[in-house]
Amino acid sequence: MTTLENTPSVFPPVAQQPVEFAAETPVTGKVRLEAAWGSTEGDEDLTTSTASAPKTDGQIFKQQYKQWNGQLNPRWMRNWAILRHHLLGIFKKGHRPWGMPIRLYLLVVFIASLSDVGMTLLSGLIGDSGLHSIWGVSRDNLYGHVLGFFPRNMLYYPVVAALLVGGVISEDRQHGTSALYFSRPITRFDYVGMKFLSVALIQGLLILVTLALYYFAEIATMGRGWAWIIDTFPLFLATVFSAILLIFTYTSIGLSLSSVSKGKFFPGIALLSIILGTKVLAFIVSNLFDREILYLISPYDCLAHVGQAIIGTQPTYDQYSWTWSLASLVAMNALSLYVLSTRVSSMEVTRE
Amino acid sequence: MQDDLIIKTTNLTKSYGQHVALDKLNLSVPKGATGLLGPNGAGKSTFLKTILGLIHTTEGEGTVLGLDIRTQGDEIRSRIGYMPEYDCLNPDMEAIHQVRYSGELLGMNPTIALARAHETLQYVGLGEQRYRNIGSYSTGMKQATKLACALVHDPELIIADEPSNGLDIVARNYMIETLTNTVKTGNRSVLMASHLMDDVERVCENFILLHKGKLAAQGRIEDLKAFDREIEIHVWGGATRLEEAMVSRGLNVRREGRIMRILHEQEDTTSMILQCAADVGAQIRRMHEYEASLEDLFLSIMENLGYEVKTSEDLLASPMQARKVDAPGHMGGGAA
Repeated sequence: MTTLENTPSVFPPVAQQPVEFAAETPVTGKVRLEAAWGSTEGDEDLTTSTASAPKTDGQIFKQQYKQWNGQLNPRWMRNWAILRHHLLGIFKKGHRPWGMPIRLYLLVVFIASLSDVGMTLLSGLIGDSGLHSIWGVSRDNLYGHVLGFFPRNMLYYPVVAALLVGGVISEDRQHGTSALYFSRPITRFDYVGMKFLSVALIQGLLILVTLALYYFAEIATMGRGWAWIIDTFPLFLATVFSAILLIFTYTSIGLSLSSVSKGKFFPGIALLSIILGTKVLAFIVSNLFDREILYLISPYDCLAHVGQAIIGTQPTYDQYSWTWSLASLVAMNALSLYVLSTRVSSMEVTRE
Repeated sequence: MQDDLIIKTTNLTKSYGQHVALDKLNLSVPKGATGLLGPNGAGKSTFLKTILGLIHTTEGEGTVLGLDIRTQGDEIRSRIGYMPEYDCLNPDMEAIHQVRYSGELLGMNPTIALARAHETLQYVGLGEQRYRNIGSYSTGMKQATKLACALVHDPELIIADEPSNGLDIVARNYMIETLTNTVKTGNRSVLMASHLMDDVERVCENFILLHKGKLAAQGRIEDLKAFDREIEIHVWGGATRLEEAMVSRGLNVRREGRIMRILHEQEDTTSMILQCAADVGAQIRRMHEYEASLEDLFLSIMENLGYEVKTSEDLLASPMQARKVDAPGHMGGGAA
């Protein structure tokens, strides 16, 4: 029987145990302290280490603030900048980036809108009176150039308006670029006014410029004299007025939709729905209740009704006064402008 | 002194119905760089909109660069450059044209605006990237473009709202250096709203602290930090004995384990600490002056002193109270 005293010790005395810290050593006790303090007993040999200076190869870019002592131009120049930005963007880079499909569609519509100009020139050149009686300047043809439903107010002008207004204000909400305007001396009125004007001018380029070309093509090719001009110029002015009313209405409705959105798609599709969808609604109402409301609820039909009265063509809704359509147009525009002004007033600068 | 002020407000109040966004603010912001601090909802955005002349004040008055914020908003916005916190750039435009358009919106001639756009983009470090679409830029490059838009007309005051938001360390350093350079070599003033106290400390000499629409504190950052000078020691062995010895000698001591901070009130504080350590046989392994960061001070003021403190002089008048709140609750800090 062995006693405890006689048992050979398998463990060396604690004091003789070497202190070693290997990677696998658990971080406890003294080891932990060593790790925490980052030194041993403080008696180890002192060594010095000197960080080498970073190699310098000279400075290529020197940041230097350059002052500018120029004079800022007044309000009209700031407004011109907004207008220019939107208009020139159609033609060249560096301004508002209109998408390539939009620019292509505008070109197609511009060329298509010149169809009556081309036919007038052709009839004048070949001297075909039959062709001229169809395509030449007349009360109905002037009306048709601006307010004809197919194809102009079905495929051309509403689609152009929808493409243009889609992102004009909604993009500023989406990208926060409204802050860029309102942190500068741009008033909300100037902002929305110039955006409105730029969209309206692009539509004007397609509708009014082609209308003017049509009128002058007739004068040029048919050798019209002052008597003809004096006779027809009031008709031309009435058509111009109708076109302005159409552009204003499409733009105000479109921009109000753009101001309530953060994307391009909704304002565009909503504008088309309002212009073309109301016709469908009126058709349903007409069939179900035998009641005509198209001249009241459809922006296009209101415009057509008023345009027919101003230009003096055969009215479509001769049983109703055109003033109802005018009142409806005024109400539509007032509502659109109210929404537009309210939404633009609430656009933020510090966060959007 | 009055001429050196870029912003001055007197009892400036802005209410939205029942909600008071700014409550009788009396501010005097000198030329140079000033940090605008405050937690979310403190009224920083409302304050910026007010000094931009974009919203009508409910009460009180104020001037920016000597112009009345109530009636001369357009002139104010012509003379300041605003760098918003959020995106304000068209991703489909090239940076050079975006900056040029920003200048044109201020009334600059297009040719001059283009020349300045080149200069400012070069200045913010985007010289070689200026013909790239903004949509392809990194966050840092977008921030730099926003700064270039703000600097294009060489404004007297730049308002930078969270300029280093979302930037990596390199881009952040560059932005801070650029702002500092604008103040120091460009001799321009900067009002910088930021949650990053380090950035504010690096750029600004002055600060404004808003809390719940009220002025919590304003003054020089150096002054604010000066009240809290302490000596920090790391003790090995006999820490409790050392603490007792120092307290018995009248030193103010805060302790967290073997780390102690002693209020540096007298010139001989250091020698007193060493003497105490020698007396009780404690080892002092490390000893250095502790300087509270602006973040510490911000948190302590926000959590404890609240908006009743008006200026850094008030803080200096009650250093013990301020010091106490700097310490965590378990170290004897907490409510003052």
